[in-house]
Amino acid sequence: MLADLLNNLSSNLTTGLVQAAGAIVLCVAVVVACRRFAVHVEREAAVAIARGLVQMVFVGVVLALLLHGSLLVGGLILLAMTIAAALTAARRAPDIDGSVLLSFWAIAAGSGAVIAGMLAIGMLQTSITMLVPVGSMIIANAMNACAQAAERFRSDVTAHVGQVEAGLALGADPAVTVAPYVQSAVYASLLPRLDMLKSLGLVWIPGVMAGMMVSGANPVYAGIYQFIIVVMILTASGIAGLIMTLLMRARAFTPAAQLTWSRG
Amino acid sequence: MRSNQDLQMSATTIVGYTNLSRDQGFPIKAVHHVSADRAHEVLGLETRNLSRCVAGKLLLDSISVQVPPGEVLAVVGPSGAGKSSFLRLLNRLDEPTGGSVLLNGEDYREIAPRELRRRVGMVMQTAFLFPGTVAANISFGPRQHGETLTADHIAVLLDRVGLPGYQDRDVSNLSGGEAQRVSVARTLANAPAALLLDEPTSALDEASARGIEELLLGITQERRMTCVIVTHNRLQAARIASRTMVLEAGRLVTIGPTKEVLHAC
Repeated sequence: MLADLLNNLSSNLTTGLVQAAGAIVLCVAVVVACRRFAVHVEREAAVAIARGLVQMVFVGVVLALLLHGSLLVGGLILLAMTIAAALTAARRAPDIDGSVLLSFWAIAAGSGAVIAGMLAIGMLQTSITMLVPVGSMIIANAMNACAQAAERFRSDVTAHVGQVEAGLALGADPAVTVAPYVQSAVYASLLPRLDMLKSLGLVWIPGVMAGMMVSGANPVYAGIYQFIIVVMILTASGIAGLIMTLLMRARAFTPAAQLTWSRG
Repeated sequence: MRSNQDLQMSATTIVGYTNLSRDQGFPIKAVHHVSADRAHEVLGLETRNLSRCVAGKLLLDSISVQVPPGEVLAVVGPSGAGKSSFLRLLNRLDEPTGGSVLLNGEDYREIAPRELRRRVGMVMQTAFLFPGTVAANISFGPRQHGETLTADHIAVLLDRVGLPGYQDRDVSNLSGGEAQRVSVARTLANAPAALLLDEPTSALDEASARGIEELLLGITQERRMTCVIVTHNRLQAARIASRTMVLEAGRLVTIGPTKEVLHAC
């Protein structure tokens, strides 16, 4: 496996490095232009370019090794991605107890259900080279939806503490008092994905389709498959956003129906 | 003006959970009517060593007070004395960290919070009306308990708070005084046995404040409703309350007949 990797590296390395050098030259030209207008980003740009190149080469090597692994390895990679996604999404709700765990369950439920469904009906192959890239797209979007829902729900509830407590004081169920904010949070988390679906092919041609066409797939099939992926992303995002909001709703109240969040 | 009896609920309902509809974003439970009369409850409140401590700060320190049925008790004191904290504990919007509240001798932790809050209504400093019509706001409380208010009931309540014909008005078009009157009607629609008032006139101009004050005085007298009112206005306390308690730094300084307490302070 390592020998194959080294062979591939040697054949593509020269081309890749020349292309990278070309990109760096363009970037350096911009830095020089900035300098003429007293915008000094030389050091920062140099560090960023060096870091970016080293990191991407490293990721490439790791992926090249991992993509030859088994389905179990693929599953573990997706699990690790889900954990990382949960840690990232939880930053949007830092003062909610157990926000990492809530995010993890929401993202795992959304992306897990969709990936499992796609595998079950043959929409997604079990090969790790398909599973990991497609899975990562679904997890990343579920993460964004989860974070957006968490942030919107919390900000809406804390901005309407008076209304929520007025409802509670009238004997309403806590779920009733925050129902409008559940709706707005889930909708807000879905909106970017809905816009993405609407603009598909008109405003942008996403990576999966571009990659398939570059590798010689029929453009029509590549387009249809891209549509399927975006619909699955929307589905995973919807599940993740809804579950995150409902889990947060449960944390917002005590068993005695008292709001635990203070005015924002 | 319709009779006071009309103010009391004349129908209760059984909740049907199968259908959910929506009104201004708030889910509404479908209801089925069954006829029954809800007798007006007479309720006495008592706090026993009621305390609340948040993040190491003592907001209320062992308050023990009895409010007999039908009494209006004013709570006065400087800002930060714990007046609103005390009131929020009475209908369990906040949880006591020590002591408890008794309703007719029963520990309120034995009562389901939603039922407790129906029986012990609260009018807040700001009306906090829900988006929509006045009628939808007034119907909100009963709906949560599976009851529907008829158009006549709503009309009677609006008459009582001095807003006849306001049923279909959008709450966004109400003045501060009108909104607070709707808030009072919304609380009364639950037919509470006790009323908690958290500076209900402090956000209003003088004329609106006096109007609300007269309204509350009339309602508590005619319904013999137990009432606890938080106010920073000592003259208001003197006009409304038979007894007054003074809080300072979360501690009960004194309690007694309003004239005596206010004269002594």
